[in-house]
Amino acid sequence: MSTTTKDAPTPTATAGRPALRRQGRAIGAPRAHPLAYAVLGLGLVVVMSPFIWMALSSVKGEGEIRRVPPTWWPQEPTLDNFTELFARLDFPQFFTNSTVVAIAVTLGNLLFSSLLGYVLAKFEFAGKKVLFRLVLGTLMIPGMVTLVPLFVLVANMGLVNTYAGLILPFLAAPFGVFLMRQFFLGIPDELIDAARVDGASELRIFAQVVVPLAKPAFATLAILTFLGSWNNFLWPLVVATTEDKYTLPVALALYSTGQNQTDYGLLLAGAVVVVVPVLVVFLLLQRYFVQGVAMTGIK
Amino acid sequence: MSADTAVRSVSTDRTGTPLKTRSPLYRRRTRAAWGFALPFMLLFMTFTAGPVLMSLAMAVTDLRSRDLRNPLGVNFIGFDNFVAVLQDPLFRKAAANTLYFVLVGVPLTLGLALGIAVVLNAGITRLKTFFRVGYYMPVVTSIVAVAVVWRFLLHPDTGLINEVLGWVGIDGPNWLASTTWAMPSMIAMATWRSIGTLIIIFLAGLQGVDASQHEAAALDGAGAWQRFRFITIPSMRPTLLFGAVITGIGYVQFFEEPFVMTQGGPLNSTLSVAFHTYNQFGFGNYGYAAAMSYVLFLAVVVLTLVQFRVLGERDTPRRHRWRRTPVARKEIGR
Amino acid sequence: MNRTVRAGSAVIAVAVLGLAGCGRGDAGTAGEPQEAEEVAEGAASGAVEVWAMGTEGEALGAFAEDFVAENPDVEINVTAVPWDAAHDKIATAIAAGQTPDVSMIGTTWMGEFAATGALDPTPDLIDSSAFFEGAWGSTDVGGTNYGVPWYVETRVLYYRSDMIDQAPTDWAGLTAMAQEMQAGGAEWGISLQPGQTGAWQTFMPFAWQAGAQIVTEDGTEFTIDSPEFVEALTFYQSLFDDGLSPTALPQGSLEPGFMDGSIGSFVSGPWHVGILDELDSAGMANVALAPLPAGAEQASFIGGANLAVFKDAESRDAAWKFVDWLSQPETQVAWYAAVNDLPSVASAWDDPSIADDAFLSVFGEQLDTALAPPSIPTWEEVASVIDTELERLTKSGADPQEVSTSIQEQAAAIGTGL
Repeated sequence: MSTTTKDAPTPTATAGRPALRRQGRAIGAPRAHPLAYAVLGLGLVVVMSPFIWMALSSVKGEGEIRRVPPTWWPQEPTLDNFTELFARLDFPQFFTNSTVVAIAVTLGNLLFSSLLGYVLAKFEFAGKKVLFRLVLGTLMIPGMVTLVPLFVLVANMGLVNTYAGLILPFLAAPFGVFLMRQFFLGIPDELIDAARVDGASELRIFAQVVVPLAKPAFATLAILTFLGSWNNFLWPLVVATTEDKYTLPVALALYSTGQNQTDYGLLLAGAVVVVVPVLVVFLLLQRYFVQGVAMTGIK
Repeated sequence: MSADTAVRSVSTDRTGTPLKTRSPLYRRRTRAAWGFALPFMLLFMTFTAGPVLMSLAMAVTDLRSRDLRNPLGVNFIGFDNFVAVLQDPLFRKAAANTLYFVLVGVPLTLGLALGIAVVLNAGITRLKTFFRVGYYMPVVTSIVAVAVVWRFLLHPDTGLINEVLGWVGIDGPNWLASTTWAMPSMIAMATWRSIGTLIIIFLAGLQGVDASQHEAAALDGAGAWQRFRFITIPSMRPTLLFGAVITGIGYVQFFEEPFVMTQGGPLNSTLSVAFHTYNQFGFGNYGYAAAMSYVLFLAVVVLTLVQFRVLGERDTPRRHRWRRTPVARKEIGR
Repeated sequence: MNRTVRAGSAVIAVAVLGLAGCGRGDAGTAGEPQEAEEVAEGAASGAVEVWAMGTEGEALGAFAEDFVAENPDVEINVTAVPWDAAHDKIATAIAAGQTPDVSMIGTTWMGEFAATGALDPTPDLIDSSAFFEGAWGSTDVGGTNYGVPWYVETRVLYYRSDMIDQAPTDWAGLTAMAQEMQAGGAEWGISLQPGQTGAWQTFMPFAWQAGAQIVTEDGTEFTIDSPEFVEALTFYQSLFDDGLSPTALPQGSLEPGFMDGSIGSFVSGPWHVGILDELDSAGMANVALAPLPAGAEQASFIGGANLAVFKDAESRDAAWKFVDWLSQPETQVAWYAAVNDLPSVASAWDDPSIADDAFLSVFGEQLDTALAPPSIPTWEEVASVIDTELERLTKSGADPQEVSTSIQEQAAAIGTGL
C-alpha cells in the first residue's frame, strides 16, 4: 500500500517485473472515491458534533447552556466564562504541572515500553512467556482496585505532593508494552538478522534499524499516552495535597463542580482549554501515523 | 495457514534451527533481553506489581473503610468475598449487562473502526489530516459535552434520533428511560467514543502492509475485496489483536457512559460491573470491592485468551509472510 | 498473603494500639462515646492545614486573614479540593496517614470517616446549642460528636405562584395543588425524583413527616419498616400513579420546564434560586418558595458540610480555635456574604442581610424542622438501597409494604456499622 497522500508514487520496480500501474497510479495506492468522501463526511459530522457544541457553548451564558433543546449557535456570545476561568485559575501553574507530567510520562513510556516490547516481539529468551503474561495480566486489572494500595505505597516512599509522585507510577505502563510488541511483530526478522550479521550490538540494532521503521507505532503510543496523562484526574487529585501541584483537570473540576450543582459555563470553557494542547500534539504527530515503512529494503 | 507447515516449538531462532535452551546464543539473547527489560521492570515491580499484590490481599480480608488507619487489624476470610460477589443479585445483573455490552460492542466498534481506517487510508486522497483529526475528536472531547449532546440526541420528544425515525413513521422510545433501549444507547455512545483511538491504531497498522504483495496479487487477478481479505487483514493481525484486546478490556470495564448518562438505571438495566464496584468502593467495602474487581479481571482474562486464540499469531515461521506467495496455487495468503 | 492476620493477633493489635473500631470478632467499640480532649486557652499558634471543597475552598484562604490578624502566631493554609472524588481523596489520605489538620466533610460522610477513628471528638470549646438541631445531629456518630456544622442547606417546595393562590400546608393540599396546576395547563403538577442517585433526599422528608424513625436511639439497629414509613411510601407512589409527577424526566429538563410552566412545582435546595435566575431572570417574579407540607409533623432534609479536625492534626489546638472562630455568628454572616452559604448557626439568621431576603426566610423557617439522616458509617450504602427500591416503587408499581420490608431486610444485612 502506498504511503504518500497526494500523488501516485512511483512503485519500485521489482526484479524482472515492470512497475505495475493502472490508470496512472500504483495498485493499492489511495484512490479518491466520491462515495468515500460522502460516507466519511457523514460520519465526521456525527462524530464531531459534541466537540463543536462544546466549543460553541463555551461562549454562551449559563442560562443559554441549560436551555432545552440545546442551542447551537450562541445567541448572546460572551467571553465571560473564559475571563472568569483565567481570573480564578492560576493557569500558568496548572498548565506547567500538566505539561511536565504529561511529557515526562510520554517520553518515559516511549523509551521503556518500546525496549521491552521489542524484546518480547523479537527475542527468544528465558522467562519470556512469563514476563509477557505478567505484563499483559496487569493491564487487565481494573484501575480502581490499586488506588488505595498505590497511594499508601507512594506515601511511604515520601512522594506525596511531588512531581515524582505524579510521574513515577505511570512511567512503566503495560499498555505501551503491548502496543509496541504488536507493532514490532510486523518488522521483518531478516532486517534484524542482517544487522546482527554485520556485527551491530543489540542496542544499536534497536536504535538504528528498528526504531526508524516503527515511527507510526511511536507516534500512536505518544499521542495515546499523552492524552491519558493529560486528562488524568483521580491520581493527581489524590497525590497533590497543596494546590501548587494540581494538574489542569483537577483545577478545572475545582472551579466548576459543586456539591449540588455544576457551573456548566466554566466547565465547558475549561474543557475547551484542556483540549487545545492535546490537539496540538495530535496534529504534530499525526503525519507519522501514516509514514511509510520502507519494505523494499528486503528485496 | 498452509497445511504443510510444521508447528515448531517456540524456541527457534530466525532461521528455523531449534535453539538449545542452554546454548551460548540463547544465554546471550536472554542477557540482552533482560537488559532491555530492566528499566521497565524496576518501575513496574514497584508501582504496579506491588499495589496489585496488596489489593489481592485486600480481596481476601473483610477490610472496610473503618480499617483504613489500621489495615493489619482485619480478618482473613479466604474466598468469602468472592462467594458473596457471585451470590449478589446486583452483581449478576451487572454481569449480564456487561456481557451484553461486550458481545455487541466489541465487534461493532472493531468493524466500524477498521472500515473507516481503510477508507481513510485508501479511499481518499485529499483532506486526510482533516478527517483523521475529526475522527479523533470524540476521544478528546470532555465527557460533559458528550453527555449533553447525546442527551439531546436521545431526547424522547425533541431529540434528533426520534425525529429522524419519525420521518419513516417509527415512534421512537424514551431511550434513556427505557429498560430495553437504554443499553443499546450506551453501546452506541461507547462505540462513538472509542472508534477514534482504534482508527489511529489501525491506520498505523495499515502502513505495514506490503505493497508488493498487493501488486503480485492484483497481477494474478485478485480483486480489491480479495486483496483486502487475504493480504491486508492477515498483515494486520497483530494490530487487530491489539485493538480487540484493548477494546475488550475497556468494554468489560465500561463505566463512564452509565455513570454520566443513566447512573446505572433505569432499574439497573445499565449497571455495569465496574460501576457496581465503584459504588462498593465508595461505600467503603474495600475487601468486597477488591474481590469484585478480581472477578472482573478473570472475565477480562478469559475474553483476552479467546481473542488471542482467534487473532493471535500462529506458530508458523514469520518469514513466510514476507516471501511472495505463489498465487497460481489458487490459495492466496495462507 | 503478606497481610494474613489471625484473629488472635488482631485482638493483640487492638489491645496494643488501643484504637476503637478496628479488629473484629466482638461487638465494635466504635459505638461507645469517646472523651474529647480540651483545648488550651490563649491565642492560636502553629500552621493549620485546611482542606475545603469548591467555592468554599477558593474563598476560605482570603477569608481566614481576619483570624490570622487576631492570632498573629498562626498560619492558615487552605488547599481547595474539587467535589468530584473529594470523598476518595479523604479516604485515601486517611489510609496513608496524610490527613490535614482540618477538613470540610459532607454531612453524609461523617459516619464513615468517624468510624475510621481519624476524627477528633468535639471539645467543650464549641457551643453546641448555637447550631440548628438537625445540623448538630449530623455531627453525632454513635454518641460522640465530631467536628461542627459549617454551612447548611435544606429542601423546600419551589412552585409557580401564578398557577395557584396559596402554597399547600399538608399532604392532601399538595396533591390538590398538583392537580390544580395540571388542570390549569401544566403538564406535570410536581416533579419529584422517582429513584436513582439522591432520590432518598427527596423522599426522606415524607417519611420524617409521617413520623418514621430510621434507626434506634443508639443507632445500632434499623427500624425502617414501620406503618409510618409505609404511609410515606404510599403517598409518594400516589403522586406518580396519579400522573402528577413524571417518572422519566430527561436530565436537564426540570429548570426550563419549570420556568416555561410545563412543570408546576418541585422540591430542591437553595442552589436552584441562582440557576433559575440565570435561566430566566424575568420569570423569577412567578417563582415562590414554601416549606414542605406537613404530614403528621413538619420535616425536611438538612444537608451541607461540616468541618472536622483530625486526630493526627499537628496543630490541634489552633485547628479547633479556627473552627470555633468560623462558628461565631458574626463570622457566619460574613461567610454568607462571601460565598452565599447558609449559616449553620441559628442566631446568624437574625442578621438583616439574611432575615430580609424573601427566599432565604423560607429556608430559615424550614431549618427549624429539618432532620439529618442517621450519621452511621454505612449510611451511603443504605441510602443507595433506598434509591433503588424507590425506583421499583415509582416505575414498576411495587407494593409499598413490600418495598418497606425489602429496604429493612437489605439495610439489616448491611448493618449500621455501630
